[in-house]
Amino acid sequence: MRNFNYFLLVFTLLLTACSEDFLETTPFGQATSDQFWRNADDAVAAANALYEPLDDGNFYGHTEQTFEICSDDFWRAGDHGEDQAIEEFTFDADNAQLNFSYTRKYEIINRANAILVNVPEIDMDANLKDRVIGEALFMRGFAMWRQHVIYGSLPIITEDDYLDNNFNKPKASIEEFRAFIESDWLQAVDLLPAEHTPDNIGRPTSGTVNGFLTKLYVHWEKFDEAIARGQQVINGPYPLAPNFADNFTIETENNPEMLFAVQCSEGWNSNAYRIYTTPRPWGGWDFHEPIQDLIDEFEENDPRLDATVFKLGDIVDLGGDLGPTEYVEGLSQTNYHFRKFASWRPSGGLSQDQNVPILRSADVYLLVAEAKIRSGQSGDAEINAVRQRAGLTPITGATMEDLIHERRVELAGENQRHLDLTRWDRAGLIDLVAHYQIDRGQFKPSRNFQRPKHYYFAIPQREIDLSNGILEQNPGY
Amino acid sequence: MKSLHYFKRVAFAVIALLTTAMTASAQINISGTVTDAETQSPLIGVTVQLQGSSTGTVTNLDGAYNIEVPSSESVLQFTYVGYNAQSIPVGDQTTIDVALSVSSVTLDQVVVVGYGTQQKSQVTGTISSVEGSDIQNLPVAGASQALQGRAAGVNVVRNGGAPGDGGSIRIRGTGTVNNAEPLVVIDGVPAGGLNDINPNDIESIEVLKDASASAIYGLRAANGVVIVTTKRGSFGEKLSVSLNAYTGTSSAINTIDVLDAPTLATLKRERYTNDGLDINPIWEDPQYQTQLTNWQEELLGNGATQNYDLTVRGGGEKVAFAVSGGYFEEEGLMTNSFFERFNFRINSDFKVNDRLTIGESLQITRQRGNFLGTNSAQSGILWSAIRFHPGLPVQLADGSYSSSQVSGEFGDINNPVFTADTEDGETTRHRLLGNVFAEYKILQDLSFKANFALDGTITDGDNFSIAVTDQIRQNDINDLNRSYSENYSLLAEYFLNYNRTFADLHNVRFVGGYTAQSFVNDGFSAGIDDFANEDPSQRVLDAGRQLDFIRGTRSEINLASWFARFNYAYDEKYLLTATFRRDGTSRFAEGNRWGNFPAFSAGWIVSREPWLNDSGILSYLKINGGWGRLGNQAVAPFQYLALISGGRRYTIGGQQVVGSSLSRIPNENISWETTQMTDFGVDLGFFDNKVLARVGYFVKDTEDMLLAPPTIGSIGRASVPDQNVGEIRNQGLELELSYQKASGPVTFRIDANASFIQNEVTSLAGREFLASRRYGRPNQEIARTFEGQPIGTFFGWQTDGLYQTAEEVASDPNIANDPRREQGLIQPGDVRFLDLNNDGIIDDEDRSILGDPFPDMTYGLNASLNFKNFDLNAFFLGVLGVEIFNADRMQGIDPTYPFNMYAEVADRWNGPNTSNNIPRMTTRRDNLNHRTSDLFIENGDFLRLKNLTLGYTLPQAALKNLGISNWRVYVTGQNVFTITDYSGIDPELGYVDGNLQQNVDYAQYPQARTFIFGTSITF
Repeated sequence: MRNFNYFLLVFTLLLTACSEDFLETTPFGQATSDQFWRNADDAVAAANALYEPLDDGNFYGHTEQTFEICSDDFWRAGDHGEDQAIEEFTFDADNAQLNFSYTRKYEIINRANAILVNVPEIDMDANLKDRVIGEALFMRGFAMWRQHVIYGSLPIITEDDYLDNNFNKPKASIEEFRAFIESDWLQAVDLLPAEHTPDNIGRPTSGTVNGFLTKLYVHWEKFDEAIARGQQVINGPYPLAPNFADNFTIETENNPEMLFAVQCSEGWNSNAYRIYTTPRPWGGWDFHEPIQDLIDEFEENDPRLDATVFKLGDIVDLGGDLGPTEYVEGLSQTNYHFRKFASWRPSGGLSQDQNVPILRSADVYLLVAEAKIRSGQSGDAEINAVRQRAGLTPITGATMEDLIHERRVELAGENQRHLDLTRWDRAGLIDLVAHYQIDRGQFKPSRNFQRPKHYYFAIPQREIDLSNGILEQNPGY
Repeated sequence: MKSLHYFKRVAFAVIALLTTAMTASAQINISGTVTDAETQSPLIGVTVQLQGSSTGTVTNLDGAYNIEVPSSESVLQFTYVGYNAQSIPVGDQTTIDVALSVSSVTLDQVVVVGYGTQQKSQVTGTISSVEGSDIQNLPVAGASQALQGRAAGVNVVRNGGAPGDGGSIRIRGTGTVNNAEPLVVIDGVPAGGLNDINPNDIESIEVLKDASASAIYGLRAANGVVIVTTKRGSFGEKLSVSLNAYTGTSSAINTIDVLDAPTLATLKRERYTNDGLDINPIWEDPQYQTQLTNWQEELLGNGATQNYDLTVRGGGEKVAFAVSGGYFEEEGLMTNSFFERFNFRINSDFKVNDRLTIGESLQITRQRGNFLGTNSAQSGILWSAIRFHPGLPVQLADGSYSSSQVSGEFGDINNPVFTADTEDGETTRHRLLGNVFAEYKILQDLSFKANFALDGTITDGDNFSIAVTDQIRQNDINDLNRSYSENYSLLAEYFLNYNRTFADLHNVRFVGGYTAQSFVNDGFSAGIDDFANEDPSQRVLDAGRQLDFIRGTRSEINLASWFARFNYAYDEKYLLTATFRRDGTSRFAEGNRWGNFPAFSAGWIVSREPWLNDSGILSYLKINGGWGRLGNQAVAPFQYLALISGGRRYTIGGQQVVGSSLSRIPNENISWETTQMTDFGVDLGFFDNKVLARVGYFVKDTEDMLLAPPTIGSIGRASVPDQNVGEIRNQGLELELSYQKASGPVTFRIDANASFIQNEVTSLAGREFLASRRYGRPNQEIARTFEGQPIGTFFGWQTDGLYQTAEEVASDPNIANDPRREQGLIQPGDVRFLDLNNDGIIDDEDRSILGDPFPDMTYGLNASLNFKNFDLNAFFLGVLGVEIFNADRMQGIDPTYPFNMYAEVADRWNGPNTSNNIPRMTTRRDNLNHRTSDLFIENGDFLRLKNLTLGYTLPQAALKNLGISNWRVYVTGQNVFTITDYSGIDPELGYVDGNLQQNVDYAQYPQARTFIFGTSITF
């Protein structure tokens, strides 16, 4: 009896004594932020994570490309009911499409902010540190650029905001937003190398950044700056690939012309856009069917047409049991599909190695040509570089009309056309209202583009609601 | 590993002791008659039982019985519905005649409370008890289903009827938008997993509803506590063997009428004609205009349910035991869906000496089952069957499955029969739940108890996805995913029990002690792609050619607590209870770990006052009330830390690389949710307690509810920690009523309960609303949680029929300024939406709350009738005043989808006054006719005959020579009929997004109608 009581007492004391330690348990396997940001490995891992959202079906895997259905190049097709209103400019702020890629881009921005806050403090190789910080600055600018193209302006989340959890901010002016992107890219361009070793291909180079700066400046109508930046690409190690089709062929997709692309590899990460743009019986989901109006834009014997679309009678090797297969009526309602984004494995099935192009030198050549023409200079050299690669005859005294034509056929399907058209409309070079009013048949009927409302899409209603009045909707919505 | 050895040893010891116990007994024959004490007439069918045992007999037509007992120390128990039970020690007697008096049975019942038991009449908290016998042999997979509708304030919400799916338990409303499941305590071990137990092993289930009863479980009690007590043997109990077996089949209750192939083609063509578009040639193709397949019938076949279990019980002077084993299997309505459970249990008690008793409970279960996806409006399997083209055959002539790859017009759906047939995924769970306890009587009134438990579950997942190349939703490369995880918890607790009555008037009870529990989860998973051969024999990780992923996780959470309860009763009339628990948890940051949870309650048995004694009608009156504070720590742990996750995949230089990024932003102040509850109740007995009633009222306020701050898009994708800011109030009225009557050979009993619970989110701390899961591809918003409203109200547009003519469109003030009207985008046959903000434009600003998924009233009614050897039991379940959002119909009548449609679409608008509720056929979404609106709100009231059982107990005389003491056969129907106006498949719809969305029809796995035949034999 006495022994028992003694035992009880000791036991209870023991329990009390150790109970504070007992309540100290660790989360296993996940690093806390105190345990991360130690060395170069962590910095590189953080940089790698900047690109991870790119292949997401809710980013370049599909929905980022969906804004391009507004153009006159292709019909939305597919079975996403909300797309109709986007294509026809009847959407309101609650349209689901407006939401999808919004958070992906902010995720990239915040991953970049984390690097910009933490990596400068890491003791590591200076060149590598520059590269990582340059990657972060470029990617933050890139994500903001895509937000700008779609929404005009949104809240700018800086390193300080990130540290202070200050995410609910009013949006900046469009001018401020562009200036912020410019500033990020101007810093990045000095930090990134002009070329990467083979094991780092796919990361941005200074050429990538110059290419995007060219695009920003043309858009901003800062033509001198655009030409200066564009020349650095044209004179840099980023020549056009020998063949246009090289850019869309797995073996050659990372040639020097490819300034930036979503990088994929079999069995690891893949890009759903290859499925979206492929006919259903060939393993796809049958979205984004090119319309006749785009086909008619190609000059006779322009080899780029064959590299851009599947058309009736084409024989395509689908590999495996299917083998060479004819593209026939019924695969598409418009009788065309894009072929830039998909290839088949020899054993059958869509290859996961296919990248998705985001920026090519050819685009930069044509942007420089545009800047030159619009500032009263000759853009012939740059336009002809692109035409000659396609085996077409050079032109002299190229006009904006020539440029508009060349951009449309060179970049068809690559998510540029609607942005280009709005830029030219703003500058009074075309009348986009009238252009979109043209009835191009069942798959691109007359549409009511309202100027200036539709220069930008609506900010998702969800974001407006959740901001409790801090985030203002774009005009007209 | 140590623990396994330990359990092996315990099991061995138990078996050895049992064997000794069983051989020890000699038999004495006792006979006698049982009569009514008042009328002296014989009572027929009185149960004569060895105390604490299941073995026994019943009196015959003359009130006579005959029973063998093991020893002169045995005690016989005489029980009869409506009469006071009597226990008589056998002693030297061989004839025992008994006169029973009409009773107040349920008041003297002993109920299980946390860390002890109490007489029901002396309890000041609010506890509902369900007897194991009430839920025996129901054709359900687990006890939570069996609990449905059995007690006021206890709501079991089932989300469809997939095999093995137990549903969610909500006690006194939904107390939080987070995890609102109650704590489940099995034989004294906080263990969770109510559905691992064979319901036939359950002695009783107690539901602790108010703060006073549940505060002894402190930090885990905010959502109520369910205490399960399993059957044990008794000392001196004769060895008995009982066998239960049932088997039966189930079938679909109903299906959705969809269009046949010719009508579908007609209506699809009408879409194009209406829009002035060329008709897609596929709809002219006669090949697809012949009705071939009713996909729902192909998918929903017959299911089967069976259960077998065997229990051996008995006890000697020093040892008592119950050993059981069973097998339950449910084959679902859908091909390839199933659930099965093997369970074994050994409960035993040993009297070591006069002071020390030790015992153990051990449960081992193996469960196996699979779950077909039925909650998606993009790939759900029943959803697919409703929409797949009816002109396609199940299989083509070459034996391959038909596919909607034929045309983009047939939609993004895989052949549902193909999906079900090729499904190869299952989860196996092995669980070992065991505890050993020792109780030592220090003094006559004071005892010490120690309890140690291990609860270990191994969950093993195995999912093979075949390569799908000839369906729309493809899988390029076949893959196998395996996952394996161990969850185990260790419990150690020590407490003192004191119970003494002073001067025959003052009863003082105390229980208090220390408990610590540790929860560890350790798991890994791997995926391998690219199997050269899909033969079942090749579906192992080694046969795959390409590694996809390997992952592993580990987590550990610890809890430590002090607890105490003090009861005082004066003359069994004035009752007081005070409870206190101090809990610490490792889920939160230092400084936020410890919390105090007090509760107080009082009761007054008014009918014991002399001045109320002789009222004649009113035979019992008790008033009780209390207040207490409880906690809920069932939230994601470690949110006070910022986490960086690796495994972000990308390709650089053609090589696989991984990245790391912030996966969670920290909140250092995070803590548990707190609930305060005030409770008041009146117990009434009338006519010598033949009629018993209880009326209860409670107010339950949840404070510091964890809410994720508005995850505005600029945060990106990192998860945002919760903050303790929300508030919810549940208040309600509970009614319980029972009536019993016995006259001659007939006994009748009815138990009814009803709950009226109001749920209101009282504060979202500045957040305008909480969003919930969106529906289908266009991401339609269906439900929002607003301050001042119940959780998950339906939110959308109001409508006023369809525009019948162009004039109506032109003159409608609702769209006076709507640019779409000018553009000709609104046409006759479109829905007239109401412009609530009077700006002449229909937009997001015109949305309002359309309905509420919480019923005004839920009720259950159990009626049983015994006549001679027959017994009949009917159990009804119902809800009143509830709305359902029929999302499946919203999409099912929407012609802009490339799918088959509901048959009612044949009655669509196709000219003035042809329809006022089914919009015109169009491919266009200009007016968004099928946006979330009141068109799809339906009344979800139902009354369901959940169980109907007819049983027959074979006459004693016929069995005597067979050594059988009791043999009953029965038939039971489950979901026998349902009275409802709801047009969908099943009005019993549960939660699909935590608690944030309820009663939204996603074409969930439908509940089945089941009929079984069963038998119970006791030797």
